[in-house]
Amino acid sequence: MRLSNDQTTLRSEFADDPDMVGIVALFIHELPQRLAAMHVAIAAADHDQLRMLAHQLKGAAGGYGFPKLGEAAALVDQAVRAGNDDNVIRSRVGMLAAIAARIRP
Amino acid sequence: MTALPLTLPKVLAIDDSVLIHRLLQVRLQHEQIQLFGATSADVGIKMARELRPDVVLLDIELDLKNQGMDGFGVLQVFKADPDLQEVSVIFISATATMEERVRALDMGASDFVAKPFEIVELQARVRSALRVQHLVKMLAQKAQVDGLTGLWNRTYFDRRLTQEVGEAIRHNRSLSLVMCDVDGFKKLNDERGHPFGDKVLERLSRILQTGRGSDIACRYGGEEFGIILPNTVGSEAIEVADRYRRAIEQEIWPSVPGMVITASFGVADVFVLPGTPTIEDFISTADAALYRAKVNGRNRVEAAVAMHLPG
Repeated sequence: MRLSNDQTTLRSEFADDPDMVGIVALFIHELPQRLAAMHVAIAAADHDQLRMLAHQLKGAAGGYGFPKLGEAAALVDQAVRAGNDDNVIRSRVGMLAAIAARIRP
Repeated sequence: MTALPLTLPKVLAIDDSVLIHRLLQVRLQHEQIQLFGATSADVGIKMARELRPDVVLLDIELDLKNQGMDGFGVLQVFKADPDLQEVSVIFISATATMEERVRALDMGASDFVAKPFEIVELQARVRSALRVQHLVKMLAQKAQVDGLTGLWNRTYFDRRLTQEVGEAIRHNRSLSLVMCDVDGFKKLNDERGHPFGDKVLERLSRILQTGRGSDIACRYGGEEFGIILPNTVGSEAIEVADRYRRAIEQEIWPSVPGMVITASFGVADVFVLPGTPTIEDFISTADAALYRAKVNGRNRVEAAVAMHLPG
């Protein structure tokens, strides 16, 4: 997958919007915890929790200027909702994490 | 009384994601609104009942995790609540299909915004919902206000009096009604012309609004006014009516030097009435007292008889 090999950094589309700087920084700061929570949910086979986490990211990421992250979260949401097996879900969370890793303040 | 409250309109956002609340706080911070947030259906409904918001931003996929009430459920609760059914609801959703959007609008939602938000669009849709809400409120109020005097009209008077009588009986609280009629108004109209008569009604209405904040002054019809006095016993109501009477008598009419205009008043305390009183009984009791004030020489306050005389 090309996306996961792409190492270019991602910055928020709103990085230069003074109104947004604070909550974008908070969003980036909290992102590792959100991903960790997803991994915990997968390990616990708690699909409702995983879906909620993915769904929230899907709805919000674009608003913080990270549409790619939102699209990747939508794929996780979709996989959980469709009842895909854990390998598919894990791989999609992996893609989401790869995009998150490229995000810089 | 005709102006709407000067406080900023209230917008309540109901969404289970704190990320969305933070975003809305920032993105709507320059709008002329007060923004409130709730992260669950239950809290959202409770807050809506307390705050009476003008606009609600409502997430469809609320509480995915607990499979609790979703946005449609919340909208249903609003539509069944007389205090909330007029609230403008803007649905927000990250996934809504066309069918869901149609369902939301059919259920009475006023608009729909997709997540992630296009900021300018979100702001415009909130402003648009507020404009509609403002007009709805204005129309609702206009339908209850008398055009000439700015007092509450007869429709409002009947509705409010019914409500107040019910409250007084339920909670054993006092309640009085004052009916007021301008003395010799027909003659005034005939001699000075209708524009002057209108002016008299306007000025008297302004005087009737100078009472205690809790008094509810209404134009009952023609030159007759009804003032509802919650939590007021008959003897207090007599004093209130007499203050109005003196203020009217002392009013100066610059266009007609030396002229004195007076009014007569009839007072009734709801507990004078036997059994469970209807508002018709209540009004006619106060009216009978008003009639006696006229018969006994005008420019007087008379109270319903049973208030002072046993039997």
